[in-house]
Amino acid sequence: MTYREAIRAGLREALRSDPRVFLMGEDVGRYGGAYACSRGLLEEFGPERVRDTPLSESTFVGAGIGAALGGMRPIVEVMTVNFSLLALDQVVNNAATLRHMSGGQFSIPLAVRMATGGGRQLAAQHSHSLEGWYAHIPGIKVLTPATVADAKGMLLAALQDPDPVFIFEHAMLYPMEGELDEDAGAADISQARVRRQGNDVTLITFGGSLPKTLEAAEQLASLEIEAEVVDARVLRPLDISTFLTSVAKTHRVVIVDEAWRTGSFAAEISAQIMEQGFDHLDAPVARICAAEVPMPYAKHLEEAALPQVGIIVKTVQGL
Amino acid sequence: MPEMNMIQAINDALRVEMERDDRVIVMGEDIGKFGGVFRATQGLYQQFGEDRVFDTPLAEAGIIGTAIGMALYGLRPVPEIQFADYIYPAFDQIVNELSKYRYRSGGQYSCPLTIRTPYGGGVKGGHYHSQSPEAYFIHTPGLKVVVPSSPYDAKGLLISAIRDEDPVLFFEPKRIYRAVKGEVPKGEYLVPLERATLVREGDQCTVIAYGAMLHMARETVDLATKKGIRCDLIDLRTLLPFDIDTILQSVQKTGRVVIVHEAPRTCGFGAELAATIGEKALLYLEAPVLRITGFDTPFPYTLEHDYLPDAPRVLAGIEKTLNF
Repeated sequence: MTYREAIRAGLREALRSDPRVFLMGEDVGRYGGAYACSRGLLEEFGPERVRDTPLSESTFVGAGIGAALGGMRPIVEVMTVNFSLLALDQVVNNAATLRHMSGGQFSIPLAVRMATGGGRQLAAQHSHSLEGWYAHIPGIKVLTPATVADAKGMLLAALQDPDPVFIFEHAMLYPMEGELDEDAGAADISQARVRRQGNDVTLITFGGSLPKTLEAAEQLASLEIEAEVVDARVLRPLDISTFLTSVAKTHRVVIVDEAWRTGSFAAEISAQIMEQGFDHLDAPVARICAAEVPMPYAKHLEEAALPQVGIIVKTVQGL
Repeated sequence: MPEMNMIQAINDALRVEMERDDRVIVMGEDIGKFGGVFRATQGLYQQFGEDRVFDTPLAEAGIIGTAIGMALYGLRPVPEIQFADYIYPAFDQIVNELSKYRYRSGGQYSCPLTIRTPYGGGVKGGHYHSQSPEAYFIHTPGLKVVVPSSPYDAKGLLISAIRDEDPVLFFEPKRIYRAVKGEVPKGEYLVPLERATLVREGDQCTVIAYGAMLHMARETVDLATKKGIRCDLIDLRTLLPFDIDTILQSVQKTGRVVIVHEAPRTCGFGAELAATIGEKALLYLEAPVLRITGFDTPFPYTLEHDYLPDAPRVLAGIEKTLNF
C-alpha cells in the first residue's frame, strides 16, 4: 500500500466508525484532494461529511474549530503548509488557546492535515517545511508521519486526542510503498522511533528526510560507519529521551531537517541534546538543513537547496 | 541632550525620517488622529497630514499587503501592527510575499518596509496582548528582525531600519515603553543593524538578552557581581541576522552561557542561539548552554509574574551553569 492509500484508509476507517468525524478542505470532495488522498470518499460518505470549501484557509480552519467546540471530530485538510499561514491567527489565537482561556472547560479535538516539503519544482510558495514553526505553539501537537504505517496510525491517534493535532504529510512520501497492518489502529504519538540500529553516529530526522537519511546510513555502512537513524515522528511534545539514549551510545549527532536552518526545529533538538546530554558529546551537534532562500524553481537549484544523501554522508564522515 | 522614554524616541525617529524623506509614510490601526494606542505616532497626523499618516481598518493582512505594494512602487512605508499578537493575519503577506520579493524577482524589486509592533508581557494584557512571536520571523530568510532595549537604540535602530533596502520587523518592548528613559540626541543618527552590544563585562558567564528582558538581566548581572560572579551581558539588538562574532568572543572568554527570552522555550530564538554556539564553540564550553525563557503555555493572565523570567530564575541559572 502507498502512503497516500494509507491516509485514505485512515480517513475511511474514521468516517465509518465515528459519525462525528467529517472531512473538509479545498478540493477534498469532487476532485478527491490535491494529492488524491480523499478520492472516492465523497461518493461513499456524501457531501455532508466530505465537504469542499472555498479557498479561504482562515475560514475553514475557523469553522473546524467551531465544529470541534460543538462536539464534532473534524478533519481539516489544508492543501499545503504554505497556505496555512493564512489561518495562523485561528491556530495560534484560537485552536491552541481555548482550553487554556476557558480554564479547561472547552477542548478542541481538531485534526488538521497538510502537505509539506519540496522536491517537486513547485517553487517559493508551495515547497516549504514550516512544521518547526508549529512546534513553537503551546497547546497543539505536531506529528510528522514518515512511514506508511504512521500515515494511517497517526491520523487515527489524532482523532482520539482531545486537543488540536497538526499532521504534516511530506509531499514526496505520498507515492511511497510500505507494509500496513490494516488492523493496527491508532499509532503511539508519544515516542520517537529508532528506524535503524548503529553505534557510531546518531542521525535524527523526520518526515520526508527519513528515506534520504536511511539511504545515507546504508552508504555509510559500506564505509564501515554504522549510523543509528532516529525518526522523531512527534515534534511536539518532543521525545528527547529516545535521542539521549542513542547519543549516550554514539556520542555524535547529525540532525537532518528540510526546513531553513535559522530557527529550525533542528535547532531545538540540538539545544536540548546539549542541555541534557552535554557530557556524552564528542563533537558539535551538526545540522543539515535547507539553504536559506525561498525554494528555487529550477530543478538543479531545488536539489542544491535541499538536504541530499551525499551531504549527509559527507557530514558524518567529517565528524 | 534631551531625555526621552522609548515612545518619545520612536516618535522622534519617525518625525526625523518623515521630515527628511517624503517617501516615508506611516499607517495602521488608530495611528492617525488618535496618535496610536501607545502614542508612538502622536502629532504626526497634524504635522504631515492624512496622505502620509493614515488610519487603516482592523485588517492586518490588508495593512501589510498595501504597504508591500507601496514599497514596490518606491515609497518607504512604516506600518504599525497594534500588538504583535495581531500579526498572524498578516503572516502570509510577510512570509510568502514580503520576505521573498527580492529573491523571486531576481533582484529587480526590493521591499523597503519597516513593520513596527509592540510585543511582550508584563502589562497585564492577557493572552492576546502579551505574546513574543519573534521566533517565527527569525525562521524566515529575507527579513531582518530588530528588538531595541533603550530609547537611544530605539531611535537609531528605527532610522536604520527605515533606510534599509529590505524588510525589517521592528519589535518594540511595550513593557518598557515609558519605564526606561535615557539621553537621546536631537536629529538624525544611526545605530547599525546586525550588531550586538556588550552592556556589562565579566569573565565567568555570558548572559544574552534583548528587549524588556535586557533590563531584568542587567539587574541580575549586577546582583551576581555583588555575590562575586562576573558576567558579560550582551544586548543582541538585532536577532536576524544575529551578531555571532560578539557572542563567540564572549563565549571563548567565559565558557558558559545563559540565554534569556520571554517567548515560550520550545523552538524559541534561544534554541537557535544555543545550537549555533554549540556548533561553533563546543570546545570552549565548560557547561551546557542554558535557556531561561517563558513557559510552554499560552501566555497567562493571572500568572504572568510566574511566566516571565525574573532575577531569581536568571540568577539561579547563572549559578547552575557555574556549578556544572
